[in-house]
This record gives sequence, structure tokens and C-alpha cells, in this order.
Amino acid sequence: MVSDSILDFAAQLSQAPAAPVIEERELHLVVFRLDREEYAVPIELVREVVRVADVTRVPHAPAHIRGVMNLRGRILPIVEIRTRLGLSRADVTPTSRVVVVEVAGRTVGLLVDAVGQVARVSERLIAAPPEEVRTAGAEAVTAVARVGTRLLVLLDLERVLASTTSNVNSTAPSAASQP
Amino acid sequence: MTGPEHPFAALLAEYVAECLPLAEEVVEGALALERAWQEGQSADELFGPLKGTLHTIKGNSAMMGLAGLQNLAHRLEDLWGVLAADPASRDAGAPLFVRGTGLLADLVRGTASGPPPEGAAADYLEEVEAFLASERGAREAAREERRSPDRRTSDRRNPKAGGEVGADGAVATIRVDSRRLDALLESFGEAMIAHAGLGEAMRQLNRRRGTTGELTQLERAMLGLDRTLKRLESALMETRLLPISTVFSRFTRLVRDVAHSEGKRVRLEVAGGETRLDKTVIDRLGEPLVHLITNAVTHGIEPPEERESRGKPAEAVITLRAVQRSDRVILTVTDDGRGLDPEAILRKARALGQAPAVEAPSLAEIFALAFLPGLSTAQRVSQHSGRGVGLDVVASSIRALSGNVSVGSEPGRGTTFLLRLPLTVAVLRSLLVEVDTERYALPLVDVAETVRVLPETLYQVARQGMMTWRGEVIPVMDGGLLLGGGAAESRRYCVVLRSAARHRGVMVDSLLGHHEVVVKALDPSLGRPPAVAAATILGDGRVACILDTGRLADGWVEPVAAAAP
Repeated sequence: MVSDSILDFAAQLSQAPAAPVIEERELHLVVFRLDREEYAVPIELVREVVRVADVTRVPHAPAHIRGVMNLRGRILPIVEIRTRLGLSRADVTPTSRVVVVEVAGRTVGLLVDAVGQVARVSERLIAAPPEEVRTAGAEAVTAVARVGTRLLVLLDLERVLASTTSNVNSTAPSAASQP
Repeated sequence: MTGPEHPFAALLAEYVAECLPLAEEVVEGALALERAWQEGQSADELFGPLKGTLHTIKGNSAMMGLAGLQNLAHRLEDLWGVLAADPASRDAGAPLFVRGTGLLADLVRGTASGPPPEGAAADYLEEVEAFLASERGAREAAREERRSPDRRTSDRRNPKAGGEVGADGAVATIRVDSRRLDALLESFGEAMIAHAGLGEAMRQLNRRRGTTGELTQLERAMLGLDRTLKRLESALMETRLLPISTVFSRFTRLVRDVAHSEGKRVRLEVAGGETRLDKTVIDRLGEPLVHLITNAVTHGIEPPEERESRGKPAEAVITLRAVQRSDRVILTVTDDGRGLDPEAILRKARALGQAPAVEAPSLAEIFALAFLPGLSTAQRVSQHSGRGVGLDVVASSIRALSGNVSVGSEPGRGTTFLLRLPLTVAVLRSLLVEVDTERYALPLVDVAETVRVLPETLYQVARQGMMTWRGEVIPVMDGGLLLGGGAAESRRYCVVLRSAARHRGVMVDSLLGHHEVVVKALDPSLGRPPAVAAATILGDGRVACILDTGRLADGWVEPVAAAAP
């Protein structure tokens, strides 16, 4: 039967020796755009990319939280990654997307201007960030990758998100008065 | 009773016609047996038919769905088994058996006018149960002596974990992994949200098309769904309720240990342990209660010598009390220690720039300040013993459960923390309001009233909006300012929030009615925004924040102008 042969094939595949040794490791990166710059995060951290639904503002939320969004019955915090990286806040446009990432056990959405294709980048092409990208929020930039004429800025999402939990609100004078 | 309405009235008559003679036969047989035994005869010949007849009655009752009768017949069979096997049991067992057969005959006779009420033979069944259990114990003890335990019967009688077998041999209770209950609750929440979505779509259709036959039909179907969901909700809630004693039980030891290390003498008294709460609430209640009780011992209660010098008994008492009030559970933690010092609290609050806006704050208003971050006296505890956190943390974990906490105290006499908790966690009855085009849900329990306010009835006292409400002058805050937006003169509706200290009004743009909303916890990424307790998803699929009305009412959320950040 046909299905049997497929199953056999599948079984062989699973038993096949590991894929031939790749000479250099490749990173799969999800690339998104903020203004004209291209940023990238490892694909393993990305759960999905969705359109921007209505975002509800949360009063007194931390500075880089734009609000929350309903993602199939789940309440997803939306991180304003633009302001986190020192860019100005932008309006939602038809190309805007939410990149849903899971970092350190937390699932949050990153609001980006547009999402490009997944890039395969050889580790060889990844280098430390040059001076010119060390702007505000630079501690979140781990490296850059040069792909042809493109420059992808690799983000350390744990660092991006770590600072967004600190509350900015009016009733924390006690916190403010402490050094 | 329900006789004529019973769907099987004709069948019931038939059942009585068949079973009544049988039941009377059993009564006769039982009496004959008892007599024979009293006269020292074995009367074995009477046994066989009796058992067969009981079995027939049981079968017929089961067929008619008469569970009470079926149970009773079944229990009588069990009793018969014991009497047949063990002559020693007959002295006590025979009268019980005779009484039971009489009851059986009465119930069968009564069935002509409708099924017997539930629990009609409950008392008797309990008696039989006790008798059977003691007989079982005696037999098992005897068996132990003979070192030949009969595993088969004991296994049948003591079903393994997973369930309890009811009187009719069917499984009466089952154990369920609580995660399955949580999953069930979550699915129920989704059903509620879907239902709200349907309702919203229906209203829009109604507006656009006007009422049509199909719409009326849809409306009727929705009403039916509504009722079913309500029933489902209460059934689901019922399965999730646990007695609060499950969390209370660990505190006796805690009090003893903490008191011991502090060199104090403290006794814990507990009342209302049978009060039931949702499992989630119980699970998350432990930690805040540990804080409150630890704080009471280390802080509230004086050392024995000091107590005695003040004319108090050396042994202090901490009382933990729970009581249900409609759909809330009130929990109090009371100590008879030194009490809170209002002057010290006020001093600290002023130092933190958090003094109340009013000139002469009431005691309740001052005590409410104790829950401010950085203020609670408990922070000194953490330096002493590395244990305990601020009261603000206690308050926020209670608020995360849609509850609230307040404190009352009498200097020198003691302190009482009062926790108000919701009975259930799935849905929250709330008032939906709109402020600056965002919608917010306010738990109805905290809403005293909503009023339309005319501009001329609002006045300013020391830059604080005030209005007269039911003869009381209450502070009124602008909803926009409270929620991190801007002030607007145009808001006309005031939601008056209940508070232990002082009622407070919040001005909103519009009132959108009462809704049952499904409570969803805020993601930790959002930090702990002071005005928001949780979130929910509304009928149109948008998220709305559930406001922390307790905090708003107690004035913990300071209004800010949008320009501030």
C-alpha cells in the first residue's frame, strides 16, 4: 500500500544518520523593520507574527508597554520596541505587525513597522555591533550581521524585555526617593 | 406531590401494584425471622426467598429511577447478608432489619402518589451504614486474629483512591486532577466571552435591520444559552469550592514557631473553617495570610512582661475568622496586641509625600495608608528576621484575587485585618464605563451608586473636587487623571466607590451597563499598575482593564496630569 511505503520512508528518515556535517552554523532570524533599519531575533524565540488588533491601553503600565491585545482569548502585552530602542513612538500602519515572542517564560508581542522574510545567516557574518549602532537602548543590541549590503541588528530580547517590567507610575514616590 | 405530573404516572401505578405485595412479603418474612431467632431457631428456610424478593424490589425501583428505594433495598440486602452469615450480629441487627422492611413498604406505598422525596430514608440508611461498618470492623478484627484476611471482600468494600462507591454500587464521587478543573474553568471563560461576542453581534444586527422573526428567534436562543451558562457556572463553581480550613490548618504551627522564636506566648483561635472558597482563592490566600499572621506575632503582640504590666493576659490570642456574606467571603485576622499607631503612620506617610489630601483625616483614612509601598511597619520585620514583606504586597496579592483588604485598630487593644474575597474567580459582576474612549470594568461589589452630576454641584476644596452624596461630602476624582490621561470637564457621570474609610467618586464619560466579565490575570510584564487589578475580553473581542476599585476608593492612586511623564 502507498501509505506503507510512505511510513517506511518516514521510518528510514528518522533512522538516517545525522545530516551531513555543515561546515558553518547558520542562524535563522526573523527580520523586522523599524523606520529604515532592519532588526532580527532568532526564530526559535518567535511564536508567530500577527496583524495588529485593537490595543487597549493599560493605565500606569511600564514605559515601553503600549497596551494589551486579545490574541485568541489570551491577553498579550504589546511592547513598544521602538521607544525601547530610543526611536519615536509611531502609529500603526497597514504593514505594522506584532511579533509574538517567548522569552524567559513570558509571551509578549513586539510592535514593529513591518516584518520581512526569515534570513539565514552564517555565523561567520555576525560581528560585534559597530560604534554607529550604539545608540539608546544599545545594551539590547548583541551583534550585527552583514548580509550583502544589508545590515541586520541582532537584539537580545531578554535585555529588551528586562527593563520593561519596571513600573513608571505616579504612586511610587517611595521607589523614586530611593537611589 | 408530583404524582399527576410525573411523566410515568401510569408506570408508577404499575410499579406500586407489583412491588407493594413484594414489600409486604418482606415485612412478613423479616418479622418471622426475628421471632424465630428470639426463640432460638435458625429459620434458615426463610432466608432464601427474602433475599430474592428484596432483589426484585431493588431491580424494579432502579428501572423506575427511584434511587431512594433502590438504595434502601440494596442496603437491606447488605444487612440480610450480614445477618445470614453471622448469627452473633442478629441481636442488634434483626430489629434494624425489621424496621427497614417496614420503611420500604411505606415508601413503596407512598410512591402511588409520586416518587418519595430525596433522602426520605436517609436517617435509616445512616444507621444501617454505621451498623454495617461496626460489623465489618468486628469481622475484620476476628479475621486478623485468625491471620487469614479475606482480601476479596475488604477490597470490594474499600474501593481504591479514585472514587467512593455509593449505596447502589455505582461510583458516587470521583477524584479529579485540579488541573482538569482549571482547564474546565478556562474553557467556560472562553464560552462566556464567545457568548458576549454573540450578544454584541446580535445587538448590532438588531440596530441595523430592526426586529425580524429570525432575530426574535435568535434572541430566544441566546436567552436559553444565557440560562444554561449560568447553571454551568454555578455547577462549575460548586466543584471548585473547598473549605477554608485547608489553608487555616497550617497556621497553628506557624504561630507556635514564630511566637517561640520571638519569646512570646500566642494562641491561635480559628472560626468558620467550614466556609468554602474557590480553590484558586484558597491556593493564593496562604501567602498573604502567612504575612499577616507572622506580622501580628512579631509586631502586633507585645512580649509577655509588657502585656502583664498593661493588665493583659501574658498569652496573646490571634483569631482567624471566616464568614460568608452573599457572594463574598469575609476573612479577619485579629490580634490583641498593641495596635497600630496612627501618628507614626501619618508621620511616615508625610515623609514619603503620601499624606492624605484632606485636612483632618479619619482614623480609617490613616490606617488605609498602611498599605502604601514603603510604609508598612512590617518592613522593620524583614530587617529583624528576614521574613515578611510590606503590607503593600499583601494588599496586591489580595487585589489580584479581586478582593480587598482593610485594617482597623485600637491602640493598646489590638488590630484587625479584614479581607473581602470573592467566592468565585471565573466571572466578575461589573459595571462597564468609558473614559477617554477606553472601556473599563469596575467590580460591582465596590460600586455604591452611579449618579449623573451637574457641573454646578461639583466644587473645589483645596484643589480637590468634592460633591455632596447622600448628605456626605465626598472627594471626586477625574477618571482621565486617575487613569493616566487628561482631565476633562465634560464628564457627567460619577461612579461612587465604596470604601471602608471614605466613599469616593470617579467621573467617567459614560456608563455602559452591568456585565459579567471573565477575569484574566495581568501578565507580569505589565508590572503592578496601581489602578488595574486584572483584565477581561469584551464581547467585541477587545481587551478591557478591570480597575482596582479598592485602591481607587482608598485614594491610593494619585491623579496625575498627562504631561507629567
